[in-house]
Amino acid sequence: MIAALGRSLVLLALLVSTVGVVVGAATAMRRSAAGWAWTRRLAYLFALAMIAANVLMLWALVARDFSVSYVAQVGSRAIPNWVAVVSLWSSLEGSILFWGLVIGAYVAVATWANREQHPEYMPWAVAVWLACGAFFAFLLAGPAQPFQTVHPVPAEGPGPNPLLQNHLLMAIHPPFLYLGFVGMTIPFGLASAALLTGRLGHDFLRPLRTWLMLPWTFLTVAIVLGGWWAYEVLGWGGYWAWDPVENASFLPWLTATAALHSALLTERKGVLKGWTVTLVLATFLLTILGTFMTRSGVFNSVHSFTQSAIGPTILVFLVLALVWSIALLALRIDRLGAEGTIEPALGRDALFLVNNLVFVLFTFTILLGTVFPLLVEALRGVQMSVGRPYFDRMAVPLGVALLLLMGVGPALPWGRATPAQVRQALVPPLKGAALAAALGAALGVRRPWTLVALAFGGYTLQVTLRELWLPLARRRRAHGESFGRALVEAGFVRGRRRFGSYLVHAGAAMVIVAIAVSSTMGESREAQLRLGEKTEVGAYSLTFLAVDQVSEPHRQAVVARVAVTRAGRDLGVLSPRMNQYERQREPIGTPAVRSSLFEDLYLSVMNIDPAGGNLGLLAMVNPMVGWIWAATALMAIGSLVSLVPSRADTRP
Amino acid sequence: MRRTGGSLRRAAGLALIAAGAWLGAPLAVAQGPSAGGEPSRVVGPPRGSALAGDALSARAEDVAGLLRCPVCQGLSVADSPATMAVNMKAQVKDMLAQGYDEEQILAYFEHSYGEFVRLEPPLRGVNWLVWLGPLLALAAGGALVAWTLRSRRRVGGQDPLAPLPGPGTLPDDPELARHLRRVRELAYGWAHGRPPGSSS
Amino acid sequence: MSEGGASKGKPRPFNRRVLLAGLVVVAPLVAVLVMNLGRNPHLIASPLVGRAAPDFVLRPLDGGEPVTLASLRGRPVVLNFWATWCVPCFEEHAVLVSAARATGDRAHFIGVVYQDDEEQVRAFLARQGSAYPSLLDPGSRTAIAFGIFGVPETFFIDGEGRIAAKHVGPLDAPSLEAKLRLSGLAP
Repeated sequence: MIAALGRSLVLLALLVSTVGVVVGAATAMRRSAAGWAWTRRLAYLFALAMIAANVLMLWALVARDFSVSYVAQVGSRAIPNWVAVVSLWSSLEGSILFWGLVIGAYVAVATWANREQHPEYMPWAVAVWLACGAFFAFLLAGPAQPFQTVHPVPAEGPGPNPLLQNHLLMAIHPPFLYLGFVGMTIPFGLASAALLTGRLGHDFLRPLRTWLMLPWTFLTVAIVLGGWWAYEVLGWGGYWAWDPVENASFLPWLTATAALHSALLTERKGVLKGWTVTLVLATFLLTILGTFMTRSGVFNSVHSFTQSAIGPTILVFLVLALVWSIALLALRIDRLGAEGTIEPALGRDALFLVNNLVFVLFTFTILLGTVFPLLVEALRGVQMSVGRPYFDRMAVPLGVALLLLMGVGPALPWGRATPAQVRQALVPPLKGAALAAALGAALGVRRPWTLVALAFGGYTLQVTLRELWLPLARRRRAHGESFGRALVEAGFVRGRRRFGSYLVHAGAAMVIVAIAVSSTMGESREAQLRLGEKTEVGAYSLTFLAVDQVSEPHRQAVVARVAVTRAGRDLGVLSPRMNQYERQREPIGTPAVRSSLFEDLYLSVMNIDPAGGNLGLLAMVNPMVGWIWAATALMAIGSLVSLVPSRADTRP
Repeated sequence: MRRTGGSLRRAAGLALIAAGAWLGAPLAVAQGPSAGGEPSRVVGPPRGSALAGDALSARAEDVAGLLRCPVCQGLSVADSPATMAVNMKAQVKDMLAQGYDEEQILAYFEHSYGEFVRLEPPLRGVNWLVWLGPLLALAAGGALVAWTLRSRRRVGGQDPLAPLPGPGTLPDDPELARHLRRVRELAYGWAHGRPPGSSS
Repeated sequence: MSEGGASKGKPRPFNRRVLLAGLVVVAPLVAVLVMNLGRNPHLIASPLVGRAAPDFVLRPLDGGEPVTLASLRGRPVVLNFWATWCVPCFEEHAVLVSAARATGDRAHFIGVVYQDDEEQVRAFLARQGSAYPSLLDPGSRTAIAFGIFGVPETFFIDGEGRIAAKHVGPLDAPSLEAKLRLSGLAP
């Protein structure tokens, strides 16, 4: 019964969204209040249908209703309820159903928020959104049906992949990722609307920017959460492996960030409209490419779902979306026009162009590396790999360049700057650069790229801190306010967008520096220990105390107890473990991590023998890893601060 | 999924871990009699100098980082916990201790596993594209940026230190846009309310 | 991308440069994706097929002199990598045993144990029977030399020591026969 109801809801969503596309397009071509009202209603109805379908599936999962095909696939009586909920997005069909939920919610909220504004654009935007929604409804009704009826009803199911039950982050990372990925549909619709009407007015940049920045925030957090998960759960001590699916999530982030910056210049000067729109379209296209990469089974990746008919279907949609985007751009980009010019001399304007260049280059490089094995396979018939060493080598100069741009750009004044102004702007932060580099060298940094990253980081942080501080200082001088009051007034009440943006820059600079330091300054040691033996890594002394065997409902674990001391002080006991899941042949280790302010002590079990009392221990000291997570949180906070609408925005 | 007795499962599971773990250490460390596929037969005699101690461990990590673990998804031999990867790393260390250099070791594994096992694409045939592509893109992009900026060089003097006017975009409402243009015409002296040198 | 107004003359209905740029970037990408649909990226072709098989010196499970591949020259060799913890290996074991018995002296059947425990292997063979020697491969050096990705994998080596064929996954009787013929089995 639930299965039939679910299927009906999916069909309803498909029908409503298809009709919505037609009504929206008609309304856009011939303005009518009734048409717009109906377009909105259809959008809300689509959202309602998708939400209901998801609620229904959650109910079926928690109730262990094995007559529903998806529940029969991933459900189990043996798993706890939170795993049952999380298994909604653990497997292919469920994840597409979840995609439907997120797109429905986004479309509804975006439609509602703009129901009385931008009447020339909005019907087009809604039509495009519903077209994307219709595609996912089509997937759910066709190749990826989660609501098929299973007969006879099995008594039990296999449960989701045990790897996914290992850690609570499984509950958080995919929803954030979807909120980021799927959210990019909204700015895609807005940009398409701008191209279709042939205008990109100043007013319309605000919703474009807002609806780009919101999913961007989620995507940023999601990408880093994925890294955190890999670090805490997988046990190899790293957080990013340039796996094709990891790259798939990173590519749209790059173009979205470029689009945000390009939109900023468009808002100020009326230039780079074509660039902004193209970057927004590219972001959406990359999310569809990303979902194809994950689900088609074509890429050799740790994340991929298995092959099915879904791959070709998504590819068809991708091709259609590409044709749509290129056609729109070719036909309308010249009409957008410019209402100003970019100053040809060295100044902040010109640096926005350079910024676009670096981001696009970064995107191109990673896309090339990810797709290259497929190209070679097609041309030479040989399977080859483009792995971490290649991507690291390419990403380092690009990341460092971005770090420098974050400093030089905001330091320079807008528009044309005289040589004297340039000198005045660019020289003082060199103090920060020198300080950071000296500090690094004093602490033992010898690698050139790391020193460069530290120098640029110091430079950028000095510029950013100054930009954060200036409005504060001005308020204190002018109004005699206390520090706290001035902070709230200048940073939040009045200058939110700017303040939030610089917070994001500060966070981003710290992330890049932390990545540079953590990947080059770590220490690691492998040791085979017997009970009672000790080993050392960094400043820590590790003693193998005991072995425990723990039995849990979904796995058996062997846990090593290791005592940690540093400079004589006892720091407690860490318990890395080796887990054996029923369905996996190789056991999977869970590391134990002790995070302190400047470094992580990371212990991982390589091999363990409870009977003989032997432990193969991998011990690492990873500096500044915690800073990556903390700085990302700062980025998210800054972004949210900048997103809070001002009174001017909410006026109709 | 059939359910067996709880205690039996537990015992089986622990035995499996014990077996897997027990094999991990000895198999990884063994210098067995298995002289499978003498490397010299494939890559020739050792070309480098034999390493030992800390230098050996460090170099083994580096070279293992360039090899792909065949049974994992994308992890390098250095990072992977799989037994096969551990064995491969041991072989890398062995070969370094015997004096083979990095290229010989990579070539040896490539002989058995194919180009797939190298994480960094070797420079042959169409592989050049993945190394040159980004550089070419950088050159092309840089040229484009330079051209865009240069083509806007102003002719005729205009005081570079004059305060620049405000945002150049116009609102969508045609009424409002008309008014704004009139304001700019009056305030800045722009012809038709458009900034000098702009279009449409 | 021209920022409007740069081109003089009759305005075209579409921007050629954008169209061209779009096609140049997009067409190869789509072509590559389409050409790779349906291909399983986890199946890696072995470079060793057609080449001389790596030699090995391995100790048999039952003890005795180490066995080398060179000593088996003259007859086709079926080299089967297996383990007791591998379910498909269990399935193909019967096929291999009966094929070994049927071919008798015309070919050598050799098993190489992959990452397994000696006692468990002995117990398995005692239970399931064996018709040919199984060799131990500590450190998986031989497995590495043969480019093993997992088990079971079987190599069919001809009388001159060249690898005629490779079979990934459990063997069935028809495939076994066909590949034996490829490696020059006398009828």
